[in-house]
Amino acid sequence: MIVLVIGMVWFAVGLTSCGGDSSEPPPQAAQESLAGTDANGDSVRDDIEAYIDMTYPVPAQGDTNRALRQFARAAQATMLDASDPAPSIAHAAERFRALECLMARRPADFHRVFVELRARVLNTTARSVAYLQADDHVSGNLPLLPADQWVGACL
Amino acid sequence: MGGRLSISRTGVWLALMLAWIMAAWWVDPAHAQIAPQPACQNATAPRTAVFFVNGLTTTLDEARLNAGKLELEFLNRLPAMAPAVRANCHLFSLNYNPTAGEVNDFMEAAQQQLDITPTRFWLELEGLGLFAPHLIRDALQGPMTDLNRIDASTIERHAAVYREQIAPPSCRRVLVVPHSQGNLYTNASYDLVFNQSPSLPSSAIRIVGVATPAQTVRGGGLYRTSTTDVLINAIRLIRPATLPPNTNWGISPLLLSPAYSGGHSFIGYLSADPSRTDILSDIEYSLSALAVINPC
Repeated sequence: MIVLVIGMVWFAVGLTSCGGDSSEPPPQAAQESLAGTDANGDSVRDDIEAYIDMTYPVPAQGDTNRALRQFARAAQATMLDASDPAPSIAHAAERFRALECLMARRPADFHRVFVELRARVLNTTARSVAYLQADDHVSGNLPLLPADQWVGACL
Repeated sequence: MGGRLSISRTGVWLALMLAWIMAAWWVDPAHAQIAPQPACQNATAPRTAVFFVNGLTTTLDEARLNAGKLELEFLNRLPAMAPAVRANCHLFSLNYNPTAGEVNDFMEAAQQQLDITPTRFWLELEGLGLFAPHLIRDALQGPMTDLNRIDASTIERHAAVYREQIAPPSCRRVLVVPHSQGNLYTNASYDLVFNQSPSLPSSAIRIVGVATPAQTVRGGGLYRTSTTDVLINAIRLIRPATLPPNTNWGISPLLLSPAYSGGHSFIGYLSADPSRTDILSDIEYSLSALAVINPC
């Protein structure tokens, strides 16, 4: 019985804190620029690309990998254009499509996957503030795709 | 012999669990294409608009995910719902409550008082660690309790959206599912909908609140607040008339997770039981009541 209880606790902790991304987030890169480094020019920061590829390797988790890259690209554009209202609204819509793709790919745990990624994307105060500044430009409602069309939002 | 057998069985059991976790780790979870609602295939079927209204600690991205979680859980439950509900086509939308300023204030307070990194702030935005009493007092209590701090333009926009849905040519019934501070906005916009002319049938809107800091639900609506919701429990200490808890998250492992341990996350409410079942039952009850209403 004791073993069973220990197993359940271990199982529970595994479900909530491991699940494929048990590594602790890297230390804050406070000195990094807002844009960070994108050596291969694919609009996904190198540290984020490395995290996605390590945590959701291709081909086994290719669908998740691509959905998260789609979000990371939209989030990067969001931060870089945060002072400009029109692009901010457009990028919010792009993030919505990426999130709908993620929900289609990971219906059971999309939120945990999102929280882990976003915490790494917004790993400096400047990036966090820019992300929130961009949201401040969205004062109306953005259209949502119905659930049966979410997979069509994947790029 | 028996002991060896017992150990062997335990070992096999743990190995199976480990294998299951490893499989989940290494392979994309199976995802079936989500089927459209049968009633939505019928152009003449009545339409019901279902709105999610986000709360204070919910960013725009999380508001989208919350609305998606609501839609997913609803669709999972729909085949077992009453025929009158299944006969409707339900259109899910987000009535966004802008929160960037409040989240920024909360982040600044957390960085100053807890000396935490931005990464940890985003990981634990709905966690027990950030729902510390002094942080709630400094950053969350005012917007969660002071009706004067509710943004009037947001209320007007929400009310206009509801009126547009109910009035011709849309003629839709409206179900609103607000979370946290979104309950205050929903109560206020409900009042505004029916304080304007032309008058609309008040029975065309129903509310099912989640994690509410309010003292009432307009229109005789329903609500669910968990006994383990640390934020609402703190608000209730300040405002004892806050609606009492009437559900919980059971022994959900989410309560052990830094990301959900505050017991306030909308995703958590719709992932744990009995809160998920309670909320979906309230939604089914409200949709059944709406099904007999003709808004036009």
